[in-house]
Amino acid sequence: MELNTIKDAFDRVAKKQKLSTSRSQELIDQVGRELEQALTKIQAVPDPTIPIDQNSIIMELRTKLNAINPQSQLETTQKELNISLSKYPRLLEKSFVPDISKAYRNVDFDFHTVNQIILNHFYRQGLFDLGDCFINESNEPEPTTLKTQFLEMYQILDAMKSRNLDPALHWVSANREKLKQNDLNLEMKLHRLQFVEILQKGNRAEALNYARTYLAPFASIHMDEIQKLMACLLWAGRLESSPYAELMAPSHWEKIAVELAWQFCNLLGQSYESPLSVAIAAGVEGLPTLLKLANVMAGKRQEWLMMKQLPVPVDLGREFQFHSVFVCPVSRDQGSEENPPMLMPCGHVLCKQSIMKLSKSSTRTFKCPYCPHEATVAVCRQLHF
Amino acid sequence: MEMDSLPNGNSTAGGATAAALVSAPSSKLTQLAESLKLEHQFLRTPFEHYKKSIRANHRIVEKEMSAVISGVAEAADSNFSREEAVQHLNSLVSRLQGLKRKLEEGSRTEHLQAQRCRARLDHLESADVENLSEWNNTRMKRILVDYMLRMSYYDTAMELAESSNIQDLVDIDVFLDAKKVVDALQNKEVAPALAWCADNKSRLKKSKSKFEFQLRLQEFIEYVRAENNMRAIAYARKYLAPWGATHMKELQRVMATLAFKSTTECTTYKVLFEAKQWDYLVDQFKQEFFKLHGMTVEPLLTIYLQAGLSALKTPFCYEDDCTKEDPLSQESFRKLAMPLPFSKQHHSKLVCYITKELMDTENPPLVLPNGYVYSTKALEEMAKKNNGKITCPRTGFVCNYSELVKAYIS
Repeated sequence: MELNTIKDAFDRVAKKQKLSTSRSQELIDQVGRELEQALTKIQAVPDPTIPIDQNSIIMELRTKLNAINPQSQLETTQKELNISLSKYPRLLEKSFVPDISKAYRNVDFDFHTVNQIILNHFYRQGLFDLGDCFINESNEPEPTTLKTQFLEMYQILDAMKSRNLDPALHWVSANREKLKQNDLNLEMKLHRLQFVEILQKGNRAEALNYARTYLAPFASIHMDEIQKLMACLLWAGRLESSPYAELMAPSHWEKIAVELAWQFCNLLGQSYESPLSVAIAAGVEGLPTLLKLANVMAGKRQEWLMMKQLPVPVDLGREFQFHSVFVCPVSRDQGSEENPPMLMPCGHVLCKQSIMKLSKSSTRTFKCPYCPHEATVAVCRQLHF
Repeated sequence: MEMDSLPNGNSTAGGATAAALVSAPSSKLTQLAESLKLEHQFLRTPFEHYKKSIRANHRIVEKEMSAVISGVAEAADSNFSREEAVQHLNSLVSRLQGLKRKLEEGSRTEHLQAQRCRARLDHLESADVENLSEWNNTRMKRILVDYMLRMSYYDTAMELAESSNIQDLVDIDVFLDAKKVVDALQNKEVAPALAWCADNKSRLKKSKSKFEFQLRLQEFIEYVRAENNMRAIAYARKYLAPWGATHMKELQRVMATLAFKSTTECTTYKVLFEAKQWDYLVDQFKQEFFKLHGMTVEPLLTIYLQAGLSALKTPFCYEDDCTKEDPLSQESFRKLAMPLPFSKQHHSKLVCYITKELMDTENPPLVLPNGYVYSTKALEEMAKKNNGKITCPRTGFVCNYSELVKAYIS
């Protein structure tokens, strides 16, 4: 699909439309002029020798107008324009998928559930006013817990945008135990940022005090980092000229905001990305395949609606692979509780049913389909991905 | 070395052909190009609006011009006095001036609409691999505005559009046109709906729409309900009879209501008197309206959501330890995905429990003596930090790195 071709086609339509408008304007002006002329003649100062015959003037006017024939001229221009106007949509239908709802299944898609999902999405994105407006119009119940949680997160993040780390530090110390499990040194990083902020303002004594109170507890784990920060004291107020100038980079603030948001969501048992965004992104990637499938199955509406599993794979990007799916290379069956993947001594993996089929009975040896190794069912181990 | 697959009882002949015809794009650029092809509505709707304005404006010009020309002809045939002639001609002149003003105004509207069409094309062109996440974010917002408008949450739609500055990329004004008709129908008034039908007569005729007929039928029923039988019959003569040729059965059924009262218990006719019929008219209108404007009948949100859920749905999503990064770990998503088919894979795709990364030839899976599998990267890291000892995070089983075996997954 060439966007340039489409843009050119549209420009042509717009041009024809402008032409049509200016033509119409011209015709109106022309007719107007004739009318004005006739009027002038009728209203002319009467000459006693030549009486004014308004009727013949009007009849002359009529003849003139019939000669111009504005109606048929308008018709011709419109006809031309109409051709362009119907060509363009045809081009669109050719270059784009004309109906993306062909793959839609008319199943019960409860819009209350959808509304709840959207509401959660708004809160995650920090759009609280929009959420309130939405609640008003949709009459959905407000998920207060989630709202308060994300409100807190955005309060912390907003404060950080104006370089205020207090809410963040408060939250981190309140959740110290839980955060320790994730081993990301968030607290240390926040204190470091705060230290650099104080130092930049030139307050050496305050910075030293801060280090003693807040950085010291981390001495055992982050000694080299602390040593660097202590050295910075020498350049209080003029860190830009120090060898540690990069500590002032705004990217630190951005990175730590992301880390904090990630940790916050983690502690809440929520994903970092809005699940709605993920699902829609997956839909955008998968829909072309599903549409092609719906097209191929156009005559088999019943089969389409009743299928329990898609007959073709929908390839999504790596970021959408949340689960391990084992597909037996022999039977193409997906691994499950009843039919788990089994490891053969040669290192190749087949599903249990394929192995049972290959061994015909449970004690005979069978050859691996991929290499000369032989094995029995007994030496095959079940795998857990 | 590839083995021929044993026939899988599940796949039908149609499925096999389908698999051959369908191939998935791999690179990000192809991905992007494919996703742009889904944006038909995005370009078509403003264009239909533009086309409609052009045609409406032209009709005005035609009508007024004809009136002026025939005004002159009429004057030529009459015997006007001087004053009468002047008066008459002056009225024609001012009519023309009025037309000129309308034409200018119409031209301005058309220009704005053309701008909008161009803005949409530019937006599609601006999609690039570099600004992908921002462009996707905008798409998410466009999809949400479309949903809000279809559900009649107009305030939310406008606030979302304004706050994200995407007013040119959404069609709020088109939906507001529909709102007038919908609101009237919900108030049991058919006049705006009938006016809409008149406005779009030729296109509705082309698609063989019977919406106008259904509106007329409802008006008839309302007369019967009010026991205004004589008016009902007169109404039927004028407005229902022309549809008799193509929709006789339906016409007869509704005409029969004359014999019943609106409180009838006879089921065939009781249903015709129910208030639900008005809701049905609203739905019909929405469908016709969307079709005419180049929009999908379903909201974009549900179309993409269904596709996404089906593509993501695996039996593992419904287990308790489903990772929370998977949307299907959420109850609401699980509920929506229930009636949808599971996704299918043709090749194994394995994800390391520890790092969540793909376990492929670059990062092959390693098997512990207890059968649990993790990625080489994860286990190497673990061994480095723990003197070569490996502890299975799910079972607590301890072993040495040396006891691990490589698994070959194709």
